Amino acid sequence: MKVKIKSWNSVAIWKWDVPNEEVCGICRVAFDGCCSTCKTPGDDCPLIWGECSHVFHMHCLLRWLATEGSRGQCPMDRKAWVTAK
Amino acid sequence: MSMALFTKRLAKELSDLKINPPVGIEIEEAETFKSWKLNLDGVDGTLYAGERFALEFRFSPNYPMESPEVVFVGNIPIHPHIYSNGHICLNVLYNQWSPVLSVRSICLSIQSMLSSCTCKEPPPDNSHYIRTARSSPKLTQWSFHDDSV
Repeated sequence: MKVKIKSWNSVAIWKWDVPNEEVCGICRVAFDGCCSTCKTPGDDCPLIWGECSHVFHMHCLLRWLATEGSRGQCPMDRKAWVTAK
Repeated sequence: MSMALFTKRLAKELSDLKINPPVGIEIEEAETFKSWKLNLDGVDGTLYAGERFALEFRFSPNYPMESPEVVFVGNIPIHPHIYSNGHICLNVLYNQWSPVLSVRSICLSIQSMLSSCTCKEPPPDNSHYIRTARSSPKLTQWSFHDDSV
């Protein structure tokens, strides 16, 4: 039997490069989900890594850093937050 | 916007506490997201063995960006860092709060603070403090100097 491909559609998935089933320490939602204010995971609700290696939903971390009480510190180790490049 | 985080996170914490309760910690009342009451049992082999205390958590809609207000109510443990009005001198409840902490982790910190106590006595400045403190311990200017008790 000869088959001639006339057209094809590709499907791909992507995931954040974080261990499975891990949750954001701030909102307790999976990294593959989104923060409590977003509706769709992925590019619209990205993750953010610190140089300290801790990771959060970006929106969750920015809300924390915007509070006076945060003093600009990582919620995990309380060292000055520096976003990893 | 903040309501979503506040209620979703507390709902998760509540179901987690119900499904997987820490030893010696039990939910007494959690009908709303305004305040919860939890029972804390003194750990066997410590000065508080056999005693039961109650902690009240009061949440603002900014939780968990802002710490909950946590006080003992009713039977107040006699402890060098716990005032007889129920206020607790514990840095993670005030300037060392972080949004990754939770009702569970705070209960465990307080349980461990009780368990490591070697002398059941009130704070040295108790009588002055309870005369001058406002109703919320978060309005007190705490200074933390002793991490060992």
